[in-house]
Amino acid sequence: MSPEFIHLIHQTFFGGLAAAGFGILFNCPPRIIGLCFGSGALALAVRTVGIDHGLSLPVASFFAALFLAMADRAWLRVQSVRGSVIAVVGCIPMVPGSLAAKGLRNLFLLFHASPGEGVLPLTTALENLVIVGSTFAAIGTALAIPTLLFPVNQHD
Amino acid sequence: MLLEWGANARTVRHAVDSTARGLGCDTVETYCQHAAVMVMLRRGEQSCMQMGKVGEHGVNLRRAEAVLRVVDDVSTQALDCEGALEQLKSVIARTGAYPVWVVCLSTGLACAAFGKLLGADALAIVPVVIGAATGQFIRHEMLGRKMNLFLTITVVSFVSSLIAALGGRLLHESNIEITAVASILLLVPGVAILNAQVDALDGRPNLAAARVLRIIYILMFMTLGFIVSQQIARF
Repeated sequence: MSPEFIHLIHQTFFGGLAAAGFGILFNCPPRIIGLCFGSGALALAVRTVGIDHGLSLPVASFFAALFLAMADRAWLRVQSVRGSVIAVVGCIPMVPGSLAAKGLRNLFLLFHASPGEGVLPLTTALENLVIVGSTFAAIGTALAIPTLLFPVNQHD
Repeated sequence: MLLEWGANARTVRHAVDSTARGLGCDTVETYCQHAAVMVMLRRGEQSCMQMGKVGEHGVNLRRAEAVLRVVDDVSTQALDCEGALEQLKSVIARTGAYPVWVVCLSTGLACAAFGKLLGADALAIVPVVIGAATGQFIRHEMLGRKMNLFLTITVVSFVSSLIAALGGRLLHESNIEITAVASILLLVPGVAILNAQVDALDGRPNLAAARVLRIIYILMFMTLGFIVSQQIARF
């Protein structure tokens, strides 16, 4: 097996595990924890393939979230909280929380910087926070697109 | 109830609309805010405006589903107003929940999986699971005692990252920082972030802005707890 394929399997499995764990934290019924695992694994697989093909983190996250949201919409004709939660739980492993923490930590490091030494932490913080903001926006927009394009009335 | 259990404004509006029409109203206007929901109902010449307070926002799919089942029953007129009120009052008692230890363990495993996604080595799994599970237990206990959310976040972030960093050091791990960061990812308000996006795209900038402000504060307090713990862990 190629290293890329092993990396894809690694990301897929741990993405699924993270989503399933958060599914339990969000009190999803036991019968859909498997779906949470599947949605997280699917999202991470698509994002990993995207990044391996040269896409940036926000763009790859956008396509992964869009793929998940379209699959969710195709599977559930009626818009439901359950459907959206499965898609949202699947996207949780893609939320760049660690990057947000790093960005904020670099901002806090400015307190310790001597005059003239603050440029590097500030630049790193801004870089991290811009990527985080773009990724949040990309995931949220991608999740919303199918419901905006194909609104389904519950009473249909 | 729906906002408190993780639904976005679109779901709330749909639920209010279905319930009101099921009970015979002609028109319904819903205004969703972070801390309150206002509803204006009309039937013929009669009109009524109600405002309901919204408590702490969280995520609980089973309870949200139970509320939506009541909404469905009212909209199909399988349930009358009194019956629906009874059903709504008993949602918390009727819906199941995982035992606390299961939630703590699964949260720990989820954070360990995040750590692996961030590039932590296999040794990191143990301290991250212990740190995050302990943090989840503390969060459960503090929020159960109605303590301030931001204080809770700071304490959980401090304890989880301290345990993970000290554990990582004990196990001679290669990247202690990733281990410590992974242990606090249970605090990242992922659902709120995504709901803020959906609310903004649906044309509800007030609710979205309130959510974003809250998210920024949560991340700031999370980082504060993390920085303090890492200063201590260095000694």
